[in-house]
Amino acid sequence: MINQSKIAEIFDEVIASPENRLLEQDIDEGKIPIGYTCSYVPEVLLSVDRLVPVRMRAPGIAGTEIADNYLSSVICSYTRSILEFALDDRYDFLRGWVFAASCDHMRRLYDNLVYIKKPAFAHILDVPHKINEAGLAWYTDEIQDLADRLSKQFEADMSDAAVSAAIRERNDFTALLSSIHELRKIDPPPITGTEFHRILTAAQVSPMHMIIPHIRETLDELRQREGGSYRARLMMVGGELDDPEYIKVVESQGGVVVADRFCTGSIPGLEPIEMKGDPIRTIAEHTFKKTICPRMMADFESRVQAIIDVFRDYRVDGVIIEFVKFCDIWGVESSPLVSAIRDAGIPVLKLEREYRLSGEGQIRTRVQAFLESMGK
Amino acid sequence: MENKYYGGCDVGSTTGKAVIMCDSGIVASAIVPSEIDPEETAVRALEEACGTVPELGGYKNLDYLIGTGYGRNEVPFADENISEISCHAIGAHHCNSEIKTIVDIGGQDVKGISLNSDGSVLEFAMNDKCAAGTGRFLEAMSRIFRMELDQFSDLSLKAKKVIPVTAQCSVFAETEVVSLLAKRNPPDEIAAGIQAAVAKRCFTLLKRIGVRPLVTVTGGCAKNRGLIKALAKILAMEVTALTVDPQIIGALGAAVFAGRKLNAPK
Repeated sequence: MINQSKIAEIFDEVIASPENRLLEQDIDEGKIPIGYTCSYVPEVLLSVDRLVPVRMRAPGIAGTEIADNYLSSVICSYTRSILEFALDDRYDFLRGWVFAASCDHMRRLYDNLVYIKKPAFAHILDVPHKINEAGLAWYTDEIQDLADRLSKQFEADMSDAAVSAAIRERNDFTALLSSIHELRKIDPPPITGTEFHRILTAAQVSPMHMIIPHIRETLDELRQREGGSYRARLMMVGGELDDPEYIKVVESQGGVVVADRFCTGSIPGLEPIEMKGDPIRTIAEHTFKKTICPRMMADFESRVQAIIDVFRDYRVDGVIIEFVKFCDIWGVESSPLVSAIRDAGIPVLKLEREYRLSGEGQIRTRVQAFLESMGK
Repeated sequence: MENKYYGGCDVGSTTGKAVIMCDSGIVASAIVPSEIDPEETAVRALEEACGTVPELGGYKNLDYLIGTGYGRNEVPFADENISEISCHAIGAHHCNSEIKTIVDIGGQDVKGISLNSDGSVLEFAMNDKCAAGTGRFLEAMSRIFRMELDQFSDLSLKAKKVIPVTAQCSVFAETEVVSLLAKRNPPDEIAAGIQAAVAKRCFTLLKRIGVRPLVTVTGGCAKNRGLIKALAKILAMEVTALTVDPQIIGALGAAVFAGRKLNAPK
């Protein structure tokens, strides 16, 4: 196993609860935290001027007793968990909520949050199901509408210059994260998947300027570190996965997660935003590019190819497809995806799970058997 | 010692199993009820099995020991652990190399395993957290009838008709069975309905991995003849019985792996 030198404790601290020390400090200094739930929400727009994007999670959720009264038990436990936290007032520090109508479960979450919590600012982006010129024009309008509303509600400067400045800042930030991500290609990698996702998750819930020094320090440490032995190089594919402890359970069987392709992950989420022309349209184009979601029609082949490409680039031994139970989108995607990946000669394991980490023993058994079936 | 002894220890949720082998084959085995502490379960199973091999002088003298089952990390003096999925596969293959599909019905989970021709795992599927359709479920059902599991199995075999029972949830199934009994439905037909419900869950699991003959059932529930009959019916396929106690197949597989490790060229 890789030598677990001390990765900055700050990452563990900030991902332990929705409101963290760094956010509190930023809010005290006049910043405006805006929560969002889906990768189709352009977080760069939520970081313009005094806005701070906060990816909504429910770390340590024990149950969804109250949320279950509003959302059916056959709705994915991510949305129910977010609603439970909201009903427990755990997200009251947010000044606004931005959602994407990426699936029906997200829409129902938005409906119920607005109905019950009556937030001062709530917005839901409509997202086209096809990536083409018409869809891009539509989505650009959607993002412009959001920008206008944010500007009006929070007096945020949404001028082209301000948005372009936010794009530059975000590109610097993702470039830094990419520098760590690139280390995962090394064999043996000096960083585990668990460690990487602690950093990446922290980056999604902290003010950029406050977490950057910690990430830089970690990068310097990692460049000095040598990787250790491992059983197999793994890639994880799926939907929302914002709990690095889940990856830790997977890695407990000796594999190391060197690549990922999920909503809250790094591929292709860390790609830079190409600055060209109208910044709002640029953001719309980028959001489509950085989000590979099975909700999109007529894109299955390219999604399969994206996994195969990463498999080769990162010298992956096996792919684990994970998704939250009752996720309609991934439930439908996973079956043909397993077949397509297997047909490409890639070992694959499908893990259906709850949003909250549970059934650890079963996950360990499945992952261990998967490694054994690969002869590892 | 003239012989080299090696073993496998399968620490399950309901029972602990140990198998001791030497190059001539199985020399001892044991099945003990699970203790609260999985290590204690392992020790008891190993001591009982090794107690019948005086030459060995205790499990600590085994030349190679592999742990498996949910408590596989807790087997004392084990050289390594291997998942029960791989162990059931190689254990069944060791008994009959024509086996291609296994249903392992244990105390708290059900697994469908598809095998390669060398006994390695081609594909597998497990039930989710819920214990419906597992040994625990059948234990709960037989308790309603105030019967031991083997009596319950015999009862179901007497049925001329089957009263459908849901096995989606152990708690609801219990309520349903109690209601059916209260309405004076024949107990044997209800028992047959319970067996059919478990068989249907196994069928669903097997469909996820593909069913190829020969099919066998391993784990403690393989001794439930009523269930085997129901499973054969729903699969429309013969269920092949193994020559070794199906409950010790996981431990046997672990022992087979231990033998391979011991005899592997250094």
